Amino acid sequence: MTTATLAHPATHGAHEHSEPTGWKKYLWSLDHKIIGIQYLFTSLLFLFVGGGLALLLRWQLAYPSTQVMPNGDIGNPASLAFINPQFYNSLFTMHATVMVFLVVMPLLIGAFGNYLIPLKIGAGDMAFPLINELSYWVYVLSGGVLMCSFLVAGGAAAGGWTSYAPLSSVAAYNGTQMGQSLWCVGIFLNGLASIMGAFNYITTIVNMRAPGMSFFRMPLAVWSLFITAFLLLLAVPVLSAAAAMLFLDLNSGTNFFNPAHGGQPLLWQHLFWFFGHPEVYIMILPAMGMVSDILSIFSRKPIFGYKAMVFAMIAIGFLGFIVWGHHMFVSGMNLVLSAAFGVSTMVIAVPSAIKTFNWLGTLWGGSIRFTTAMLNALSFVLMFVVGGLSGIFMASTPVDIFVHHTYFIVAHIHYVLFGGSIFGIFAAIYTWYPKMFGRMMDETLGKVHFAFTFIFFNLCFFPMHNVGLGGMMRRIADPTAYEHLRSLQPINQFITLAAIGLGFSQIIFLWNFFRSLKYGAPAGNNPWQATTLEWMVASPPGHGNFAVTPTVYRGPYDYSVPGHKRDYIMQNEPDAPDAPLGAPRSTVSVG
Amino acid sequence: MFGHTVDFLFYVILILTGVTFIGVFSVLVYFLVKYRSRPGVAALHSHGNNTLEVVWTTIPVFIFLGLAIYGNEQWTQMRLKTPPADALPVAVIGEQFGWNVRYPGPDGKLAKMEASKVNKDNPFGIDSSDPAGLDDFTTYGELVFPVNRPIRLYLGSKDVIHAFYVPEFRLYQDMVPGRIYDFVWLKAEATGKFQLACNQLCGQGHYKMFGKLTVSTVPEYEAWAKSKAPSPAVTAVVPPSPVAMNQK
Repeated sequence: MTTATLAHPATHGAHEHSEPTGWKKYLWSLDHKIIGIQYLFTSLLFLFVGGGLALLLRWQLAYPSTQVMPNGDIGNPASLAFINPQFYNSLFTMHATVMVFLVVMPLLIGAFGNYLIPLKIGAGDMAFPLINELSYWVYVLSGGVLMCSFLVAGGAAAGGWTSYAPLSSVAAYNGTQMGQSLWCVGIFLNGLASIMGAFNYITTIVNMRAPGMSFFRMPLAVWSLFITAFLLLLAVPVLSAAAAMLFLDLNSGTNFFNPAHGGQPLLWQHLFWFFGHPEVYIMILPAMGMVSDILSIFSRKPIFGYKAMVFAMIAIGFLGFIVWGHHMFVSGMNLVLSAAFGVSTMVIAVPSAIKTFNWLGTLWGGSIRFTTAMLNALSFVLMFVVGGLSGIFMASTPVDIFVHHTYFIVAHIHYVLFGGSIFGIFAAIYTWYPKMFGRMMDETLGKVHFAFTFIFFNLCFFPMHNVGLGGMMRRIADPTAYEHLRSLQPINQFITLAAIGLGFSQIIFLWNFFRSLKYGAPAGNNPWQATTLEWMVASPPGHGNFAVTPTVYRGPYDYSVPGHKRDYIMQNEPDAPDAPLGAPRSTVSVG
Repeated sequence: MFGHTVDFLFYVILILTGVTFIGVFSVLVYFLVKYRSRPGVAALHSHGNNTLEVVWTTIPVFIFLGLAIYGNEQWTQMRLKTPPADALPVAVIGEQFGWNVRYPGPDGKLAKMEASKVNKDNPFGIDSSDPAGLDDFTTYGELVFPVNRPIRLYLGSKDVIHAFYVPEFRLYQDMVPGRIYDFVWLKAEATGKFQLACNQLCGQGHYKMFGKLTVSTVPEYEAWAKSKAPSPAVTAVVPPSPVAMNQK
């Protein structure tokens, strides 16, 4: 059963490349750990860019008559006014684009995928180190292109991150031909980076697991990244193709999406959401996997229902590809189709429910340590429950037409993507920072950061449900233009103040992050007394990770095994002679 | 009119999700307190329980399927039920950034609209010789619905995607250019003034693309329609064609 093969001779060769030193290490290293850290730093930088855009647009919503910032068209001095409606449209378009493509995906998949996969499966590096580094630099390039689009005539893309055609595809309608074209180029490049990463992860996980590391001995974090890589490989090329078509429509006179010349606007929506819905799971699955591991570590308990968790993630992966139509209920689609998409959308809620119950099961009977990492992981669970439950409103077609494109949806996606993914990312950073940099982050600062983030997050995003039900549309530059929204304006101002608080709370995180690089307490190999393979090597691990390829003897969650002197047994530890570790040990069941 | 169905379903889901949330939240807090790390107390070594897995998979499956089936039933009702024959047809065609509105004249008929004929100068995509259309009148951004009378909407767009959105009516419909949507209908139950909003990002002026929507009594509506009608000189030159009479 444990038929994992050792690294190919070919990939061994890859470790023999000479490792650059000094600052060059952070530019040209082919080491998966350095690439992971490159992704981490770059995407954290973009997190603050995206957050800044969010604060600007929140400011505009709260105080539409006072203005804070010149508009985006820096090339045209005459237009150096303030946040005008077009710039506002650019702001929310680019906020979402940055957060999705330059922050959440690269943090979860680029940073933690790269850093953790080889270490957790006992491999020396990724299968294709050069492609790995190339993927990072193409990602940087895509970020650069998207940032530059603020500087071109007309400003950055302003058609929403969904870029619905024909608004996006006809220059006369959107007024941002250059910005929108650069958006297409940026998304295309970003997709290329994702695809390179994805097949690298799949190859690595399939071929380079250490001896004894069978699929069902892989930690859930690795499983989640494995499944995510398949989703990327199947979904991202569709978006790349759509972006290329959009670019041609804008610049080369094709009319894929323009009905005035026989094109079909709904084609864009189908292509976009065929990518877009799996994308939602791409941005949450890795967080689910890492949080599962973190909950297990700090509850000192095996994950509850390991295989159920794996199958639930696989189910989410499959179902994620047949629910895209629920984004299009309002476009007037065929009734049979909308019925099918309505049912599949409800069904995909089931595996998410299973995961939530198993997380609770993991806590049950545990010995819970409230570290900063654990607090973030717990709030991931709770916020994901809120975001998941509010999603049920949209899955119900009749209710969807009422809440569609209101702030209810904005609240929902932020509960899933910030409350879920970003809290998951914070949990992962607090957990694996000691491994990455060899030093501990400060726990007190970490808890203060967590408390502020948690409180301000909820103050900021929960009231959005209310304004949404009050009929506030998303993507409008000035809510006070509408009579029925004027009474909601105090709530909008409250949300903005909370958003500013949320933004400033992150300074605590930055301070802790950078200060600990130098002054943090030394971490040692295994500060959390965890079981998986990355904790058996030095922090940070040397080039090549393992001096000798480890052999794996057990599953990833042997915590609190009765009769054992320690409350954890590492995956590479053979049955210790001092404890009765026979077969029944790992199959103890409750009930 | 369907607003009540939507609201009912909304409250059903609100109660279901509310109960679920309170349940999960209470269990989470209880576990966090009860199972906090204490010296000398070891964690339980448990890998799970298959019976529990089956239970908490099956229950959500039934709840979610129930919701999906019920929701779909209501949706089909809303979409399949043909508008009553006496419904007042009203055409609304969006453009950057306003609403072209067309009402039928005394014949109660709108000119036939074809999506393929919609263009800059012909927002409604009609044949100008269509006799049914000669007495139609148009407004820009102004809608009046007689109370308690079914209204059948013909929605479309001249340029980009717009959406017809009146939150008080629980009504939202995308208007994708290249097609005319004829299945939306409604009946306003109380008089009042509302705002019609575009709820699909349509460009620079999107945020102020709203229209005036009044639900008025029938006599008020008729007086308004009369004031908007094309001058009698125009309608008089139209000989009553057999087609128009048949349609009456």
